[in-house]
Amino acid sequence: MTESADFTLGQVLEIRQEELLNAWMNSVLLTWRRKYPHTAINEDLLRLQSRQLLDELRKLFSGAIPPEGWEPVPGSKIATLLYDFSVKHAKHGIKHNDTVLYISVIKQLLIRALLQDAPPACRVLNTLIISMDHVLDRLTVTLYDAYLETRERIIAQQSLSLLELSTPVVRLWDRVVMVPLIGVIDTQRARQITERLLEAIAKYEATVAILDVTGVPVLDTSVAGHIMKTIAAAQMLGAQVVMTGINPDGAQTLVKLGVNFAEVTTRATLRAGIAEGLLRVGKRIVPIKE
Amino acid sequence: MDTLIPQENAESTIPIRDSTDILKARHRARELAAALRLGSADQTRLATAVSELTRNVLQYAGEGECRIINASSDHEVYIQVVVEDHGPGIPDIELAMRDGYSTSGGLGAGLPGVQRLMDEFHLTSRPGYTCLMIAMKRPRALSF
Repeated sequence: MTESADFTLGQVLEIRQEELLNAWMNSVLLTWRRKYPHTAINEDLLRLQSRQLLDELRKLFSGAIPPEGWEPVPGSKIATLLYDFSVKHAKHGIKHNDTVLYISVIKQLLIRALLQDAPPACRVLNTLIISMDHVLDRLTVTLYDAYLETRERIIAQQSLSLLELSTPVVRLWDRVVMVPLIGVIDTQRARQITERLLEAIAKYEATVAILDVTGVPVLDTSVAGHIMKTIAAAQMLGAQVVMTGINPDGAQTLVKLGVNFAEVTTRATLRAGIAEGLLRVGKRIVPIKE
Repeated sequence: MDTLIPQENAESTIPIRDSTDILKARHRARELAAALRLGSADQTRLATAVSELTRNVLQYAGEGECRIINASSDHEVYIQVVVEDHGPGIPDIELAMRDGYSTSGGLGAGLPGVQRLMDEFHLTSRPGYTCLMIAMKRPRALSF
């Protein structure tokens, strides 16, 4: 009786850690290699981390069974290990289900090992399995949280960098600046475009601003409203605005919508717009004479 | 004559929760119009109308739903778009349909503009439920 009461996961891990680790790594790597043939997986590091994780589990289950409602302590070794693991794989584009797979594989292996190694009529086996199941579930949640957190951070960074990239104001010639508008114009971007354009107009003492909307997919009233406000602000600084790149379909739609850019000079193409802009500062493009 | 859109794609529902859903909805609308061989001007019209309505949902109701329905027959291309939300509703529909009227500092061209872009336009609104049904009707392009 005493023998069976002393049976712990710690003991099992003591004896079979390497064997379990190998089976674990094989199974996980097999799936990952199949699904992510182009991702370089650092096997040594994965093995090292996994061994450390098993060490932590062994310690956790060596004495008394972890109490009901056990949670990984934030900042503890086990939580840190999982956090690092998750962050790393989220960054490498391993999907969430394949990250979670990592824990579910070892859970299967451990349950099987417990069932095999338990002495006959072991009274603690059920409690042990339930407890281990709970602990590994909590670890899965930790893993998943870390994964989501990382992904969200990546997304936030990307949208920030997109915002940075997407509104260059180009100095085309003396006193002529140009803004190519590309993509979705929402309130935030409209504000940013206006700011940048006004800064550029002031900085270069521009008298002509060319606003190219070729890259705006849909010109609806909201986008048109934003553009109009940008234009009004530029005009207030004394710049004349030439708008270019409205395609024939867009023009028809805008007219139907009741939006007209009557107070703005418009040109169908950027080419015509540049010619117009240069003309207004008394310049034109001529062929080089031989 | 075969219908170009498989039956299972005859209706698609796009929940409208943030601005990326506007893109999704108008992309879906444009795709359907293109698949039904409508010209690029009509594709743009439909996409713009969907863009207007779904943006209204976000702006005034916070969230809602956009259904794009292909109800074309052999003789006619018929695309219906139903946009619903459970927001505060439009207090004065007549006023909202007037050009230049806006409660949000916009151009006030959205709803009347959409009506001009589309062939059918039905608006029902009460506090807690607003539904806009628009449709575009075109004779079937000859298929070769």
